[in-house]
Amino acid sequence: MIRIAAAGDVHFGEDSAGTLQPYLDDVADCADLLVLAGDLTRCGSAEEAAVLAKELDGLPLPVFAVLGNHDYHDDQHREITHVLEQHGIRVLEGTGEVVTAGGKRVGVAGIKGFGGGFAGACGTEFGEPEMKAFIRHTKDRAARLEAALAGLEADAKVCVLHYSPVEETLRGERLEIYPFLGSYLLAEAIDRGGADIVFHGHAHAGAEKGVTPGGVRVRNVAQPVIGTAFKAYCLGDDGHDDC
Amino acid sequence: MQSDDATPAASGYTEAHVSEALATDPRVATLGIEVSIRAHDVFLSGDVATAERKEAVAEVVAELLPGYTVHNDTSTNDFPPGVETEHLS
Repeated sequence: MIRIAAAGDVHFGEDSAGTLQPYLDDVADCADLLVLAGDLTRCGSAEEAAVLAKELDGLPLPVFAVLGNHDYHDDQHREITHVLEQHGIRVLEGTGEVVTAGGKRVGVAGIKGFGGGFAGACGTEFGEPEMKAFIRHTKDRAARLEAALAGLEADAKVCVLHYSPVEETLRGERLEIYPFLGSYLLAEAIDRGGADIVFHGHAHAGAEKGVTPGGVRVRNVAQPVIGTAFKAYCLGDDGHDDC
Repeated sequence: MQSDDATPAASGYTEAHVSEALATDPRVATLGIEVSIRAHDVFLSGDVATAERKEAVAEVVAELLPGYTVHNDTSTNDFPPGVETEHLS
């Protein structure tokens, strides 16, 4: 059994010190790794990331993160990545890594992702340069994600995104903004590259559970959706309640 | 704050301007806060990460719309203790 703690959209600011750490005291009792699904900061500053990094210091389990749209707002995404990595947090952007957890090799691949919409109501790479650039960005990120997932040699594969790959986990959000919340291209990449579970955030008013067309379970772990600081997911549950 | 006849009426674009301010003002920097304006009352709902940011929501809107009454119904992340677990076979 593989136990994963997941949360998204912690939106740390300089006013956030001490808000997450109390919930993480016992995280190692219920999880073998922790994943953070983007929007780590409020305005995207390295100072905000430093507050979060200190909060996560000393956790006795691997921590993986992707960045979200907020983490790009101040054009300090490289500095944010550097700060987090200095504190041992693995920041994924079209990359993956294999760790041993629960006695198994667990591959974790992640990327921020981007929008574009879903089949029947999505943007296409056509028209103005800005529109083409928008969809190209999503296609590029999807291709990188697929390669990262396909490259994992592991017993189980975990995918971490910020944007959603499916519509189901957006239910509750306004239909009009779905194209800004995710893209089917990400689901297609996941189904091609292979994964056992996908975590994402971004859609605060969305729903927790969905599935890709290829049958990969998707969980929206934005904190307002799960209603907790983080939630634990046990993969390959054999009926023994070790979580 | 009590509004009076001198308070400008909201245009059809005022709610969008408030949403834009809440997204871009660094005191809040939060997307997705619902804004509804009825006469000189502004109703705000949605979630923000901290109590400080909830206060900032009201500040930003009050600065943008002086004379309006701000009803700040946003929620903060007050999470319960303990861990919820989903078992996936």
